[in-house]
Amino acid sequence: MTDLLDHLGVYMARQRWYGGDSPPEVVQIRVDEMIGRLRHLLVDADGATYQLLLAAHDDEFPPEFLHGHPQAHLPAWHDALIDSDASLALLHEVTGGAEPALRARLLGAEQSNSSVVYDERLILKLFRRLTPGPNPDVEVTEALGRVGFPHVAVPVGVWRRGRTDLAVVQPFLVGATDGWSLALTSLRDLLADGPDDPAQAGGDFAAEAGRLGQLTAEMHLALAEAFGTEPGDVHAWADGVAAQLAKHGVTGGDEVIAAVRAAAEGGKAIRVHGDFHLGQVLRTDAGWYVLDFEGEPARPVEERMAPASPLKDVTGMLRSFQYAGAVALTERAEGTNIDRLAAQTESWEARNRSAYMSGYFGVDGISLLLPLDARPLLRALELEKAAYELGYERAYRPHWAEIPRAAIDRLLCG
Amino acid sequence: MTAFTDNPMYGGQEPADTHWYQRAVFYEVLVQGFFDSNNDGTGDLRGLTEKLDYLQWLGIDCIWLLPFFQSPLRDGGYDISDFFTVLPKYGDLADAVELIENAHHRGIRVVADLIMNHTSDQHPWFQESRQNRTNPKADWYVWGDDDRRWSEARVIFVDTENSNWAWDPLREQYYWHRFFGHQPDLNYDNPEVAQMMLDVVRFWLDIGLDGFRLDAVPYLFERDGSNGENLFETHEYLKRVRKEIDASHPGKVLLAEANQWPTDVVDYFGNGDECHMCFHFPVMPRMFMAVRQEQRHPITEILAQTPDIPAGCQWGIFLRNHDELTLEMVTDDERDYMYNEYAKDPRMKRNVGIARRLSPLLDNDRRVAELLHAMLFSFPGSPILYYGDEIGMGDNIYLGDRDGVRTPMQWTPDRNAGFSRADFAQLYLPPLMDPVYGYASVNVEAQTRNPNSFLHWIKRMLEVRKQHEVFGLGSFEVLGTQNPSVLAFVREHGSDIVVCVNNLSRFAQPCELQLGRFDGKMPIELLGRVPFPRVGELPYFVTLQPHSFYWFQLVDP
Repeated sequence: MTDLLDHLGVYMARQRWYGGDSPPEVVQIRVDEMIGRLRHLLVDADGATYQLLLAAHDDEFPPEFLHGHPQAHLPAWHDALIDSDASLALLHEVTGGAEPALRARLLGAEQSNSSVVYDERLILKLFRRLTPGPNPDVEVTEALGRVGFPHVAVPVGVWRRGRTDLAVVQPFLVGATDGWSLALTSLRDLLADGPDDPAQAGGDFAAEAGRLGQLTAEMHLALAEAFGTEPGDVHAWADGVAAQLAKHGVTGGDEVIAAVRAAAEGGKAIRVHGDFHLGQVLRTDAGWYVLDFEGEPARPVEERMAPASPLKDVTGMLRSFQYAGAVALTERAEGTNIDRLAAQTESWEARNRSAYMSGYFGVDGISLLLPLDARPLLRALELEKAAYELGYERAYRPHWAEIPRAAIDRLLCG
Repeated sequence: MTAFTDNPMYGGQEPADTHWYQRAVFYEVLVQGFFDSNNDGTGDLRGLTEKLDYLQWLGIDCIWLLPFFQSPLRDGGYDISDFFTVLPKYGDLADAVELIENAHHRGIRVVADLIMNHTSDQHPWFQESRQNRTNPKADWYVWGDDDRRWSEARVIFVDTENSNWAWDPLREQYYWHRFFGHQPDLNYDNPEVAQMMLDVVRFWLDIGLDGFRLDAVPYLFERDGSNGENLFETHEYLKRVRKEIDASHPGKVLLAEANQWPTDVVDYFGNGDECHMCFHFPVMPRMFMAVRQEQRHPITEILAQTPDIPAGCQWGIFLRNHDELTLEMVTDDERDYMYNEYAKDPRMKRNVGIARRLSPLLDNDRRVAELLHAMLFSFPGSPILYYGDEIGMGDNIYLGDRDGVRTPMQWTPDRNAGFSRADFAQLYLPPLMDPVYGYASVNVEAQTRNPNSFLHWIKRMLEVRKQHEVFGLGSFEVLGTQNPSVLAFVREHGSDIVVCVNNLSRFAQPCELQLGRFDGKMPIELLGRVPFPRVGELPYFVTLQPHSFYWFQLVDP
């Protein structure tokens, strides 16, 4: 079955999950088989392996629902996830028929996977760019489920080929909202004629921030239980910070790094979330849930799964509070009393940082994973994160580079 | 006026409607505060009868009367000194009969507060009981030599009481009281007391009352090693009451006041064989929190924690009532938040709560008042309105206890708010006269004339609600949407499907609703009957003005 080979390169270049901008030079079909009525392809293109799932047009003509979706067309075939019947067949395949559903809707494309929601009850994630071995998100959520951590959507079905995860089905958290939207709701309330002190604002976020801190600590304890701990290596961590600063031309961090090295011990290294921020947590009616344990997608998978200090996640969330403030401030900065708004935003960030940390450090047992004095490492890791962000913003969103820049200045002065 | 016999509620050819309370809108009336027919400065039962036309016009289904029994009135009538007599200031038994009959003629039912837990210390039963340890009523109350027994039981009125025991110098023993010291608890372990209260119930049902709101019901019994709330024996007794009234007076309702978490409150429904209705206390403060925080989670969280209730049962839900906005059923954090946001002046605090009426709580913001009512009328449960809130009355926080929210109903801009022609000094409480909420600006007469008034808006909403049984009987399911400021849900009852979308924010908001399973249906906005674009496969997009809402009925086009 090589009927599609000539078309695949162009087709893949149209997909959001494809890594490059132009069609790949070399396309090689590694797997091409029928699973029921679905055609399953694993395609090597320019050094990466992609997963395609196709459904045949009825009567050779493209069906009605493909109108307006030019990216989903292939001759006589189309992307199965845009076709609700085919998507239902996929769910059946992945869950072995254990989770019957009536309706499927495509949730929109992500960079590394495509998601379909069934009956507002289940969500299927099809991994588009495959790496050999378990998918980190599946691995972690399953492990956290086994140790009884209730704040993740534990998979109800995983589709594997050998040791490679192809797709996962999880409960869909209907009615949930992400932390980023909630934080912005709070900030918008504050900045629209709100009081100087965010504690006095109706939309105060501190209680949620406190609960998020608590959740983070509980997640770390569960991760430590599921994956074990090892002693933290302060020198390796200091080297990591130094390398990141050097890479992005941030100077003046020597003192911060030296303080990390000076510590007698660094607490524990554990499996961490790796890309923890307000967009990765969902507020549900049963508290906060954590999503997406894949780590920073730009890093190689081994690096993402490597043990790190739990403070790495803490700093990720802290950085996110500053981003939320900066975005809210940008929304309303024009022609208004910018000094007051900036002061309010700073107070908001300070208040929620402190609420988050109180929530985090207040959880029983968390100190066993941390250095005796967590401050030097916390500061260094936050600096590392900000430097990483600076590099990212300079490359992709130069008008936002000021956000991490300001944080770096603050961290170096502090 | 509809004659009694051909009123569908009371028979004619129709089968008796025994589940009316599941669809009803209740209206809570303070007899002394509603209308004064004899101009002595205190409202009375005949005054209420005279105002039944107004309540019928408004469109409510059932009046809930605050206590109107003989009482020294040291706790707004919740201190009863004779269960079989009407407080003379309010009228007599004949007036009660007349009120009930006239209400029934208009298709309005009447329920009343019944205080089972305790009596006034002026009640002859107590006066007899305290004489000595051997008199015939010696065991009608809960006496003890030790004031440390049952120390696990919390003190409820923390502002005034420091113990649940009080010393009686005559009998030289302590008596047990869960509320004020002048309200001794009856002893339900005594079969005579248990039987007597059933006699009280039957007496009033015979006169025509349609049921009771059972005041402070969790505390009827006391047991060692317990906090004295929600005891097995209490449930058993309530089941006995239910069984007896079902047999003798079908179609009557028992509405339990149990200020507890929903998971405990559901026990008062039994297996559909205890109380017909229970108040849902914790949802109310969370509605206020959700509006201030501009996000839905405070509400959806408590609704998600609310268990299903047996068939034939119903929640009673409300925004405000004659008590303080109670904050017993919130966490400490949430209580601090509510005090901070809604009780900026410490005078507004009462016990564990905030003594304010709806409008002042909302800074007189009509849009928010409309939004909160729209949610109240569409949440699962029967809504209970508090007299005066339909015109946006205010309060007087300088009056003692909870009197600030119990001022006279404001009928007209005339003297004494049209409530009474007595001398001002004779009034049981002064009517509000401030420039914003005073009767010169806020009154029924003016709002009746103005078709855009809040009063007319409430009336229209009640009309719409009455047309759709789904609001009383339908299932409830939250619809997911990314925007945290939007609370959307669907209510379904057979083919009657209503989608409600509420914007909790003071800013305009967009929202995408996942209505996939209603693909092909057409939403009709219920207030204007305006058809909206059909639901398709894609998310349904709506935009909402600040603090606005939609009620869509989904129909086949």
